[in-house]
Amino acid sequence: MAIGDLAFLIPLLPALAFVLTFFLGKKLPNGGAIIPIAAIATSFVISLLITLNLLQNPGEVITQSYSWFAMFNLGILVDPLAAVMLTMVTFVSLLIHIYSVGYMSHDRSQSRYFAETALFTASMLSLILSDNILQLFISWELVGVCSYLLIGFWYQKPAAATAAKKAFLTTRIGDVMFLAGIVILFSDLFKIFNGTIPDGVFIMRFDEIFAHIPELAAMNANILGMEVSHITIITLLFFGGAVGKSGQFPLHVWLPDAMEGPTTVSALIHAATMVTAGVYLVARTFPMFIAAPDTLLVVAYLGAFTAIFAATMGIVMNDLKRVLAYSTISQLGYMMLGLGIGAAIGAEAVGMSIFHLINHAFFKALLFLCAGSVIHAVGTHDMRQLGGVAKVMPITAATMIIAALSLAGFGIPGTIFGTSGFFSKDAIIEGAYLFGESSGMWIPYVLSIVAALLTSIYIFRLIFMTFFGKPRTDYGGHESHASMTIPLSILALLALFFGGLTSRRFNDFVSETFGNNFVNMNIPELAEMGGYHLAAHVGHEPVLILWMPLIVAVAGLLIAYLIYGLKVVNMDNLVSRNNPVYKLLYNRYYQNAIFTDFISVKIIYEGFAFAVRSIDRGFDWVVNWISDVTIETGDSLRQFQTGVIQTYATAVVAGVGLLIVLIKVIMEVI
Amino acid sequence: MIPIELYVGLAVIIFTIGLYGFMTQRSGIRMLMSVELMLNSANLNLVAFSSYNADLTGQVFALYSIALAACEAAIGFAILMTIFRMRDTINLDSFNILRW
Repeated sequence: MAIGDLAFLIPLLPALAFVLTFFLGKKLPNGGAIIPIAAIATSFVISLLITLNLLQNPGEVITQSYSWFAMFNLGILVDPLAAVMLTMVTFVSLLIHIYSVGYMSHDRSQSRYFAETALFTASMLSLILSDNILQLFISWELVGVCSYLLIGFWYQKPAAATAAKKAFLTTRIGDVMFLAGIVILFSDLFKIFNGTIPDGVFIMRFDEIFAHIPELAAMNANILGMEVSHITIITLLFFGGAVGKSGQFPLHVWLPDAMEGPTTVSALIHAATMVTAGVYLVARTFPMFIAAPDTLLVVAYLGAFTAIFAATMGIVMNDLKRVLAYSTISQLGYMMLGLGIGAAIGAEAVGMSIFHLINHAFFKALLFLCAGSVIHAVGTHDMRQLGGVAKVMPITAATMIIAALSLAGFGIPGTIFGTSGFFSKDAIIEGAYLFGESSGMWIPYVLSIVAALLTSIYIFRLIFMTFFGKPRTDYGGHESHASMTIPLSILALLALFFGGLTSRRFNDFVSETFGNNFVNMNIPELAEMGGYHLAAHVGHEPVLILWMPLIVAVAGLLIAYLIYGLKVVNMDNLVSRNNPVYKLLYNRYYQNAIFTDFISVKIIYEGFAFAVRSIDRGFDWVVNWISDVTIETGDSLRQFQTGVIQTYATAVVAGVGLLIVLIKVIMEVI
Repeated sequence: MIPIELYVGLAVIIFTIGLYGFMTQRSGIRMLMSVELMLNSANLNLVAFSSYNADLTGQVFALYSIALAACEAAIGFAILMTIFRMRDTINLDSFNILRW
């Protein structure tokens, strides 16, 4: 039996673990943590074996499809892209689950926690495995629900409940766009088939969708006087979904607030299960994106902008987890940029972006788990109250510094020496350079290089403020339990070496995704359809460009060291309410004021309330009017009831007289 | 033989007198008397047409009607007596409580 036949177990085992933990967890030690851990470990082993098998026999992708109803199917697809994602998600999720045993040991709702994280992992795995867009969307929504449940895990805290609601509603905006895209895609495909779909053809399956890209591109819609290809609309709507899920500007607002959940949940959301879904969606439907004129440019520009936008906010945050949240948004911006520069380098962009996604998963999970370790031991996440933690928690400090080096991208170009983050981020920045060279649009490159400098500054600011110097307040602390430090060490090793060991191989492997027995796309041909000019192979950039990311990373380290380590500049003067730049950044560009207070509260809530109140008053008025008229009419009519018999007799006589006259008239007429 | 028109004419006159009395009088006893007039004008009609058509049914019906009128008068006077004992008056204008 081939290992691929077991692929369906990968999401099924965690889903089963969810059911078991949910019902039996309370009776087991540690909230039944062993069930999801065992399930996800098995899934990880299966995923790893599948990936290794695929590495040896590329092109032998696993596809299984079952008819669901009509022209829809349920199925799994494990190609290189899905395989590496599966392995990463199961692996990171496994480590987080193990770590959670220690981290959540004091919580009363442990079994609920483990049940929900298991479901979260299961939904994400089923999202990755989907071989059709409909199944992907269902899993996509499940991921959204789980994130809602977990962000609001401590639902008795009002802040957590609000954050959960905000996350759910914000991503819902993206989800609606995604759904609209699916609906348009379905109706277009239906039209292409002239409404008669042969048996065994599942039109929402990726191979079927990709096979009809030329027809989709040929359809045009007229929007506001502009001729827009249908495929551009569909891909932009898909990207809208990705923007919501992956926290790109302007739908990133939920991500920093999602910190209200347990830190392990943040790690899960940021590294493995939630935010990567958007990047994965774009990567999965990449042939559509590259065949769509202008969509990839939108992706590239928005990604680059998000990268720098979030990085500027990361610099001024004082909350440990908030800095990391903005860092995630920024790095997701890099991943989107990586996909966007597919406009210049074709399918290789998918490899680069997913490579960064995987490396980011390692070092960001590590950063969060380290932050969790510090918070667990010290009890605060305000960096202004920390300092000198390295002395009390050496392992946590060492692993976190490794993660920071990886995030900032330290490494020597041209060799295999370097942190994981270096290889992937460097590749994306160089890709952005190539993109600028081939299209003449340099803005993404400039933004990405400046964002790299900011990244280095904010992460080392965090390191210096938290781990070095003298303690600013009196806190007791101790190194965390082994169940927490061992996952940290494993992730640290990966954050350090994974990139260097796999760099070239990985890119080639994932870039093969669109050429195998399931889908075989000619990417350059599609790019021509989208009007993109693919550049030559990566690696012929000037030396300065190759060294630039390292230079800015070191510069960031030095700046952070000078300011926060040696304190050559007194930050108290800069960090004040009077400094307009600081104020703007600290208030996060007033997005909260704009999005929450203005758009949601003023326009949506109050506008909605006003509209509903007007309608309500309208109905009230009609109902009251009817009753008033009835009462008044009755009031005047009942005056006829005098209670005097003679009046009634008179009325009877008058009535009879009238009747006689009437009959007479009728008889005359007839 | 007296023509039927005279009977009908007499009946109309009596009925109109009865109706006029019923609509204008306020005393309960006078109203009852007016009702008797209207009933009897109807009886007159019944008998007249019965004789005209040589059919006894009308006369039998008139006997029923007279019996009914007697019952009605008995009940009516009984009610008026009770009212009189309660209020010392049988002016029906002051008994308009069954109104709005």
